[in-house]
Amino acid sequence: MIENHQKSNHFLQQVNPTLKLISILTVIFFMMPIFDPWTPFVFLLLTINAIKVLGGVSLRFLFKFLAPLSLFAFSFVWINVVFPSERGETILFTIGSMPVALENIKTGISLGLRSLIFASWSLLFVLTTEPTKFMLSLIQHCRLPPRLGYGMMAAYRFLPLFQEELNQVRAAHRIRGLGEPKGFTDRVYEIKRYLIPLLASAIRKAERIAIAMESKGFDGSRQRSYYTIIKWTSKDLLFSTGLIILFSGLLLLRKSYFLL
Amino acid sequence: MKNTKPLNLREIVVIASISAVFGVLYLLWVFFGQLIQGIFGPVGHGLISGFWIMAPIVCAYIIRKPGVALIAELVAAGTEILAGSVNAGAVLILGLTQGFGAELALALFLYRSYRLPVLMLAGMFGTLANFITIYFMYGYSQYSSIITTFMLVAMLVSGAILAGWGSKSIADALGRTGVLDNFALGKINRQKRVKKDDLPHH
Repeated sequence: MIENHQKSNHFLQQVNPTLKLISILTVIFFMMPIFDPWTPFVFLLLTINAIKVLGGVSLRFLFKFLAPLSLFAFSFVWINVVFPSERGETILFTIGSMPVALENIKTGISLGLRSLIFASWSLLFVLTTEPTKFMLSLIQHCRLPPRLGYGMMAAYRFLPLFQEELNQVRAAHRIRGLGEPKGFTDRVYEIKRYLIPLLASAIRKAERIAIAMESKGFDGSRQRSYYTIIKWTSKDLLFSTGLIILFSGLLLLRKSYFLL
Repeated sequence: MKNTKPLNLREIVVIASISAVFGVLYLLWVFFGQLIQGIFGPVGHGLISGFWIMAPIVCAYIIRKPGVALIAELVAAGTEILAGSVNAGAVLILGLTQGFGAELALALFLYRSYRLPVLMLAGMFGTLANFITIYFMYGYSQYSSIITTFMLVAMLVSGAILAGWGSKSIADALGRTGVLDNFALGKINRQKRVKKDDLPHH
């Protein structure tokens, strides 16, 4: 499912992966000093719409990722109500002997929405970027050493194999009568029982693939040719301009309405 | 034993593979962590946070060269993103700071000592870096200082036990399988075995 979105031909899919990555980081820094609830709310709505319109991702698909996160986001609200750094003055009601202040609820909602913005902006990246393109862009534009980049890609390609191997290890353990885990400590030991053979075979495979790469002439130097070249296009300029407009618009809205 | 040679391709791919496995586990742990955070709050979350410092310590303990911890944590973060993390931005920044934290602890000992206390310190530095990062990123300054202090203590304990001791026990168990014979840890283990075998002859 994710791959279909990554490979489709919408606007966001054509933006340079490095630029998208930088945009996530700017969003995080942009949100750091903001503690009112309205700015993140507007920002979140705009982000979700951008993913839908510019990335061609259906809202339903998007909410499937965001729904489990809402529990995490909600934790910011209750923690802020129960353990605020300074309790607000507008007491709405009391639970037992604990006053619940409007200001703390507002800050909590702001922080919760902030975590949802980080998540949705990350989804914008993950759902519209092919892993291979991302890695090639890092090698070509961010001066990531090819040795590391291709090493990572090789390891990443093995992940589906690990899944298969995990099933084998599980079957092998069962046939030798190790049985199902009972209780918490058993479960912890079970994790280790699976992890060690999995890592051992990962290390063996990694050694073999490194030898194969070197025997085919891969020396990790920067003077090499690429099958796919990730280019900077006018779409990247458009994306950056849109981002700047978004940030300044939000700051303007915040100054004129939200901080009153 | 100090080794200042740069990493070769074999070591890089091994680091990448180990970290890729941990990257997937990190991703599963994130969901677990969010459940814990939602129910028990940041202190409960702190107690399990050491798990995210395991990849750098396992790799550094096995390969024992400068820079391994940082690279391992970045690869793990990268794998998390490639495998579909819903928190790519936070993951990347945390990968950088946590890896840097663990690396710093090992650098303090000039990459010469990889005994348990040093690894525990590396784990604690890693979770400390994690704490400082999320403190600013998720606005924890809005909470009372009591809860953030408890959270920091929980994270440091988790860093020492889960990241330090847990990583060492995993790496040692891996060493016993024999797959690490070509790496620093395997070579040191072999030297120890040889020494033990030699004793009766003298």
